[in-house]
Amino acid sequence: MAAVADLPDGVARVALDLPLRANLSALDNIALIPLYQGHYGAAESTQQAQSILDQLGHADIALLRDPDMTPAQRFVTKLARAIILKRPRLVIDRPGAMLYDVPYPAFIRQLSAQAEMTGTWEIFDFSWNQALYQE
Amino acid sequence: MNFLVASIESLGAKVVGWFTVGYGMLAFLAKASLLLLDHTTWNRATFDVVVKQVYFTAVQILHVFLGYTLVISWLIITIILSTARDFGLTAFASEMTIRVLVLELLPFLTALFIALRSGSAINTEVALMQVNNELDALVHCKVPPMQFEFLPRLIGGVVSVVTLAGLAGLLALLMGYLTIYGVSTAGFGPYTQTIAKLFDFQIMVGLIVKCVLFGLAVTLIPVTAGLETPKKLYMVPVSVLRGMMRVFFAIVAIEVVSLALKYI
Repeated sequence: MAAVADLPDGVARVALDLPLRANLSALDNIALIPLYQGHYGAAESTQQAQSILDQLGHADIALLRDPDMTPAQRFVTKLARAIILKRPRLVIDRPGAMLYDVPYPAFIRQLSAQAEMTGTWEIFDFSWNQALYQE
Repeated sequence: MNFLVASIESLGAKVVGWFTVGYGMLAFLAKASLLLLDHTTWNRATFDVVVKQVYFTAVQILHVFLGYTLVISWLIITIILSTARDFGLTAFASEMTIRVLVLELLPFLTALFIALRSGSAINTEVALMQVNNELDALVHCKVPPMQFEFLPRLIGGVVSVVTLAGLAGLLALLMGYLTIYGVSTAGFGPYTQTIAKLFDFQIMVGLIVKCVLFGLAVTLIPVTAGLETPKKLYMVPVSVLRGMMRVFFAIVAIEVVSLALKYI
């Protein structure tokens, strides 16, 4: 698992050890990326962030802050943040540690079906959880 | 003998610790200053955070601060005036008021006020961000913590202390006039002459530099203390305690040096 943390810069990670900024809303956490990396204005960045939340089917969590979110909502925000990074690879690192309130393989599958994104999402999980991913 | 060796070792470790902390703060300040000069820092996002910081540090507390300044100023002016009357030194009352209040006490109290309200909050927040890996997450997302989190706090602190101390000074001058001369305009000439005589270029520069240093002390020290926090939740209160002690000593040191430079 140490190898996951050492992944190169071109990888967007969704992981327990990469938390959200606690005093920012879900929308602000996501909008930070286009604001700082793309140098977009605040309104445009917020719009981009909201559209990703819409695509993931969780537009309603936009104004929630980290402590007010359920684990699944927190995961969706982290995922949206990783998507907006627009990196070639997206790695979900040990989803079971973040999604302990839902049957997570099905939840991730559902999110990936909703989000019409290019590229693939890679899931790094413990080998003993492999059975959970079989439909 | 063992006791002596242990004492020397402990003292040495403390001195090395102080130097390490001092070096860390100076290195952080140098990095922040270099970033200030970098044009890429001044994007819309950083500017927005700076405005937000100034709002939370200075504007949000303005009414409380001005009320507190009015009470303190009125009290000190009354004490100075009655003492001056007792000793037959009424002619020096206005100069004494300006020296004590505007040049020394109000900037010092402003710094203490901001340190207790915002400095402690900054220290706690940075320590929690450090412990919870939030800074690592920002780095992973290529959002520079220095530009997004720290620099706006430093600028906000400096701007807030300078403007609040300035406002408090103006309010004290007005209060001083009203207490000494009442609502009549008779004292306007001598009072403004005293102000003009006192506020020469050197004093003004000294006052601004002192306020800037106060502003840096109440933000830079809490930020660096927060960043030093080991990644253990129970260390957050220790970090805030250390940070606030350093802020207190720094504020007192700045005031003592300023007084020594002015009057010795």
